[in-house]
Amino acid sequence: MLVLKYSKLADACFVSHIDLLRHVSRILRRADIPVKFSQGFNPHALVFFSPPLAVGVASEAEYLAVDTDIGGEELIERYNRAVPSTLSATEVFECEKNPNLQGKITAADFVFDTPFKNIDLSGFVIEYEKKGKAVREDVSDRIYRVADSGGRLSLRLAAGNTSLRPDRILPELNARLGVALALSDIRKTAQYVGFANDAAGGFEDADDYLKRV
Amino acid sequence: MEEYKDKLYKILAQVEKPARYCGGEWNTPDMSKPRKADMCFCFPELYEIGMSNLGVQILYDVINSDKDFAAERCFAPAEDFARKLKEENLPLLSLETKKPLKDFTVLGFSIGFELLYTNVLYMLDLAEIPFYAADRGEEYPILLAGGPCAVNPEPFADFFDIIVCGEGEEADLNILRIIAESRAEGVSKSEILKRVKSVEGAYVPSLHKDGEKVTKAVLRDFENAPYPEKPLVPNIEAVHDRATLELYRGCASGCRFCQAGFWYRPIRERSAERCAELGKKMVESAGFGEMSLCSLSTGDYTELEKLEDILIPYCEQKRVNLALPSLRISSFKSDMAKHSRKSSLTFAPEAGTQRLRNVINKNVTDAELDNLAEAFEIGYDSIKLYFMLGLPTETDDDIAGIAEICKRLKGLYYLKRHKRGLNISVSCAVFIPKPCTPFQWEEQISMEEMLRKQNYLRGLLREIKGVSFSWHGAETSVLEAALARGDRRQSRVIERAYELGAKFDAWTEQFKWDAWTQAFADCGLTMGEYTRRREADEALPWDFIDNGVSKAYLLKERELGYMEATTKNCREGCNGCGALKLGRCTVC
Repeated sequence: MLVLKYSKLADACFVSHIDLLRHVSRILRRADIPVKFSQGFNPHALVFFSPPLAVGVASEAEYLAVDTDIGGEELIERYNRAVPSTLSATEVFECEKNPNLQGKITAADFVFDTPFKNIDLSGFVIEYEKKGKAVREDVSDRIYRVADSGGRLSLRLAAGNTSLRPDRILPELNARLGVALALSDIRKTAQYVGFANDAAGGFEDADDYLKRV
Repeated sequence: MEEYKDKLYKILAQVEKPARYCGGEWNTPDMSKPRKADMCFCFPELYEIGMSNLGVQILYDVINSDKDFAAERCFAPAEDFARKLKEENLPLLSLETKKPLKDFTVLGFSIGFELLYTNVLYMLDLAEIPFYAADRGEEYPILLAGGPCAVNPEPFADFFDIIVCGEGEEADLNILRIIAESRAEGVSKSEILKRVKSVEGAYVPSLHKDGEKVTKAVLRDFENAPYPEKPLVPNIEAVHDRATLELYRGCASGCRFCQAGFWYRPIRERSAERCAELGKKMVESAGFGEMSLCSLSTGDYTELEKLEDILIPYCEQKRVNLALPSLRISSFKSDMAKHSRKSSLTFAPEAGTQRLRNVINKNVTDAELDNLAEAFEIGYDSIKLYFMLGLPTETDDDIAGIAEICKRLKGLYYLKRHKRGLNISVSCAVFIPKPCTPFQWEEQISMEEMLRKQNYLRGLLREIKGVSFSWHGAETSVLEAALARGDRRQSRVIERAYELGAKFDAWTEQFKWDAWTQAFADCGLTMGEYTRRREADEALPWDFIDNGVSKAYLLKERELGYMEATTKNCREGCNGCGALKLGRCTVC
């Protein structure tokens, strides 16, 4: 199983996760990448993704696992020839089996295009609409870290099974910082597996995880 | 256009399906080459509908393949996006370079359906361009229209500088060349239009004199005609999201209600080798997982077997699903459908009895319906049937015939299979007398009669297990008929309907019947004036277009229809419709 690390930038970040799944099947076909298929009555391509990214948010750390017999170098070369530069891959990892990023990813770093400022996270309450219903919740326990990333504000947010969408914290973040950040000012820079204080030694960058498995 | 880009990105974060508006599709041609003139294709429907349109893809490719010209695209935005544009004071922009529509040399509207007329005005409104050609000075782009509605362009003629009647592959490029050369000389718009008038198929409403004829543009070398080998890959799922192969243009069947069947004559086929080569190139450049064969009657394509012999193994190897839509029952071969996924079969008998099918010259016989038994045998459990209500000479017996067909098919199914039970879905449109058909003089049945017939059929079908019934709205059918045979007076009606809030008329939930009835009334007109029966010697608004098929032939066909006499398929010998004068028919 090979895993590509790719970015989703500019125009491409407006393509939804569902549409991206369709695009990937086309990308693999036009790139002439021989993908293995599952057995059974309705065979499907053995292609796996990292957790969905909110529409409109850019990322330089998305992952795509592909079961194929060609080599890593060849995969990344063929893939990059078949995608616009806004979706290009930067790295490839070789794994024994499906790394199950969809299930393993626990957190992601997002850099916000605003000067770094240490914000008080207590009582960080967000409000949004879900299926027509207004939701109000305290999410301070899902913001794992506030950091300075080259002078910009970086937040580590819960991802995967219990996730915190960066677009949903924008209104509260803007209020606390006194700024007017938009969706296009957010960029995902890394994804993690593990947890802050677990026995395995805390958050592990998905890149390191993929090199290990 | 960087100034607009930033503002646009801010809006995109706040609207539904933003990928409709950001461009950047795979296979987008190079937009940085120097351009002597540019054209923005404007499609008056949402992105996912417009991106399915083969005509736009073909013409977009033709223009971008020329070294001197560039084509971009713009689709009618959904209302949430339109609202944001107004709030941010942004004009409507092209997808490729985010250039305001009003800064293009030419805007080319593709109008495929009468219920899109108000959306043309909606787009012009957002682009900050005056509706009427007469109100637009030199500073505005030249507005061009084309597409199937150019069969009768009179209802929208006042809005446009040029209307291309017929096929645009050559006409659009010739027009663009004349405009670019004329602009370089610095001549006025009226002089440019005078020069454009000489192009075959170009109708210039402002310069048109009574009695003048416009000859439909016909692409003569269809075999080698340009085709989008590198089609754009839609950002979001389009209605027809696949590689589409156009096998031939025109139709040999001669169904008397069918506008496309007469308008696209003469018949021109493309060879199986060329079709297959195009299909492979499309799959390899775009990566589509589905390929469909497109024409007015795919089953009648001369080299169909040869094409299948090439495409079936190719598609299997590439894991591409080969879809074969809109087959005629008479051309159904079970081995053909065997290779595609067994979802559901679609057939269009159009009328319930042999008598009425003879009237409309839909040459499907009851015996041929029995061929479907083969389909049931190889595993189909679901079938879609298309019919029309309100056809000329129709009686309640003909409507009852639709229910009889359903019963007959159920009987055939149980002879072959006993497992799940057959699902039949019956879909009924209302007959709309269209220009350029033998039925162009017919009246449309009244709205009360439409509802009565629909109710009668619904009652009959309710008795049969496993049959579902859907039908077209009576109101939209009346409006479509009124606009299809409309005249110049209707431009005011369309403008008024738009003022009253009509747009996206093809969407049931957005359709505003009251706005339209009021708009007609405010202009001193009624829809009834347009849906009534026309006399054979009456001047018709579209008479000035020479589409090849003579009026005498259409009248003769109508008489044959009344006599319940059929006309043979063109492939069995020439029927002498007259279209031959515009180019060689490749089937006779």
